[in-house]
Amino acid sequence: MNSVRFLNLELKNPTVLASGILGLTASSMWRVVEVGGAGAVTTKSFNKDWRSGHKNPSILPFRHGLLNAVGLSNPGIDEMVKEIGKFKQRASAPIFASIFGRTIDEFAEVTQRTVEAEPDLLEVNVSCPNVHSEFGQPFGDSLSDTAKVTEIVKKHAGSIPVSIKLGPHGPGIARLAKVCEENGADAITAINTVGPGMLIDIDVRKPILSNKTGGVSGPAILPIAVKSVYEVYRQVKIPIIGTGGVTQPEDAVQLILAGASLIGIGTAVYYQGIKVFEKIARGIEAYLQKYGFTSLDEIRGLAHE
Amino acid sequence: MSDLMRTYPIKKIVEHGPGVKSFYFERMLDARAGQFVNVWLPGMDEKPYSVSALGENWLEISVKAYGPFSTAMMDLKVGDRLGVRGPFGKSFTYHDRALLIGGGIGIAPLRLLAHELSAKKLSFVSLLGAATKHELIFIEDFQKWSKNCYITTDDGSQGKQGLVTEDLLSIIEKEKIEFIYAAGPEIMFVKVKELIDPLDIPYEFCMERYMKCGIGICGQCVLDDSGVRVCVEGPVFNQDELKEVTELGMVHRDASGRRVKKF
Ligand SMILES: Cc1cc2nc3c(=O)[nH]c(=O)nc-3n(C[C@H](O)[C@H](O)[C@H](O)COP(=O)(O)OP(=O)(O)OC[C@H]3O[C@@H](n4cnc5c(N)ncnc54)[C@H](O)[C@@H]3O)c2cc1C
Ligand SMILES: Cc1cc2nc3c(=O)[nH]c(=O)nc-3n(C[C@H](O)[C@H](O)[C@H](O)COP(=O)(O)O)c2cc1C
Ligand code: FES
Repeated sequence: MNSVRFLNLELKNPTVLASGILGLTASSMWRVVEVGGAGAVTTKSFNKDWRSGHKNPSILPFRHGLLNAVGLSNPGIDEMVKEIGKFKQRASAPIFASIFGRTIDEFAEVTQRTVEAEPDLLEVNVSCPNVHSEFGQPFGDSLSDTAKVTEIVKKHAGSIPVSIKLGPHGPGIARLAKVCEENGADAITAINTVGPGMLIDIDVRKPILSNKTGGVSGPAILPIAVKSVYEVYRQVKIPIIGTGGVTQPEDAVQLILAGASLIGIGTAVYYQGIKVFEKIARGIEAYLQKYGFTSLDEIRGLAHE
Repeated sequence: MSDLMRTYPIKKIVEHGPGVKSFYFERMLDARAGQFVNVWLPGMDEKPYSVSALGENWLEISVKAYGPFSTAMMDLKVGDRLGVRGPFGKSFTYHDRALLIGGGIGIAPLRLLAHELSAKKLSFVSLLGAATKHELIFIEDFQKWSKNCYITTDDGSQGKQGLVTEDLLSIIEKEKIEFIYAAGPEIMFVKVKELIDPLDIPYEFCMERYMKCGIGICGQCVLDDSGVRVCVEGPVFNQDELKEVTELGMVHRDASGRRVKKF
């Protein structure tokens, strides 16, 4: 596989472990690179203090994907900064630190402390759809809040590039992406989980998730991800980490044709196992060869022409 | 197999002693010894439990009252519905001339293993320990299926007073043991491991870690430093796989992912 350049980074292939999947520890992310073949990894989203998240059931398979309300559980910034350090010592692939905050001030503080660990990119999660009851509407549902978060994170990120992770909700993903670009974002990650949605047990007649509602991921959301990336690509010049519903190489190619530079993969680990990264990277390569292209750059955004 | 959530009524409940019960359901899935199911108590939580027995048309799990969830399970009645999905994880492999070492509720997965081994006409010896008599479950089954069954309790209420590790080496020698299976508290296994590592006898241990998804997605159950998932690559690990596990007997992670001391 030809390596790919993304911002100032070099990846062995365009696949990236999406946030919230196997991203809790250095050992886990190391294995996703070494055994799974991922080109880069993203940590589980973390904030200042540790959180247990929602009770189980918090992750539910259904026929076309997963419904999850993990509730942003994480061991807090002290532990995560250590894990990022350990990963960097042990693995050669880039690591993206996914951060969130309850307030603008917390975003600033988490950015300052995360930067000390020198991750290769900061991914800013403003779009988690399953913590409404606790956090209120996500920042990513409002243009002005998204602008503020982008601005403050950029201010403290120094030379580390910043990608804002958006969802397909709120005022429209293209407008949100534009605001991020105007406030200095270096990239956009699109999309987060979709919804929230709900599943009900028909025998006990109650919602199954302890949080009742959760974000939808996996094959069910691929068309929404493709359209989101397509819209964002038309609106901004900064590169896109296209994420959502990719389980096969053909899915990844669709996102690239829509405008993605890298491909985030999460739920597919459940369907295809940890080697899904290598499989999809090879499949993308095979697609390029089949049509005589020599690099990803040649097909990125081709669906717009 | 079904990873999708469905609830099933409890068909039968057996009380082994105070705070230790088995729950029977219809046989909604296949499983092999060591594999587990996620059990959802609506309104409460969902946790992993080993399958302790399978019949032609029933499936059994065995639970010890420990914290809030397992204690709430003790109040359940026949007909109450629980979510059961799985089976998850890898099972034990089959070997002749084996020793089964079980501690406390860790005896549950070994019960299914003992049944499978005896059905395959493989010979084995059992060494079972618990804090006290009423936590020793399925003893009659082990006595029926094993060549020999050794029992210890911490308080001497049944079998020999003491720990399973005390006579371990002499039993291995006397019974000419060629393979060891262990399940139970990690501290028990760490002591067993110290004794058997120098002998070069291959073994498998059934591990526990806090789990959220059971399907290899959340990363909550991943072990340092090998990075393997207890819910997918485990819960049964062999001696080679355990060599790369640096946290064994030291730390595990809680629901937030923070490291907490095991003991
Ligand atoms: C693969 C797997 C198989 C399991 N099989 C069984 C089984 O067959 N029968 C069974 O009763 N339990 C089994 N467990 C444990 C079970 O999932 C629960 O953790 C247990 O019932 C306690 O839950 P709780 O909410 O009551 O207590 P918690 O509040 O979870 O427990 C309180 C504290 O005790 C610790 N703890 C929890 N369970 C145990 C335990 N079993 N041994 C030692 N320390 C523990 C926890 O780390 C916690 O700090 C299994 C766990 C795993 C991962
Ligand atoms: C169990 C689970 C946990 C997730 N946790 C996070 C998270 O902490 N932060 C985040 O930005 N996205 C999180 N996501 C969203 C994923 O990163 C991804 O954007 C989404 O699942 C769509 O991609 P997929 O279909 O490939 O999974 C989570 C998704 C799942 C399934
Ligand atoms: S419990 Fe989620 S990866 Fe094992």
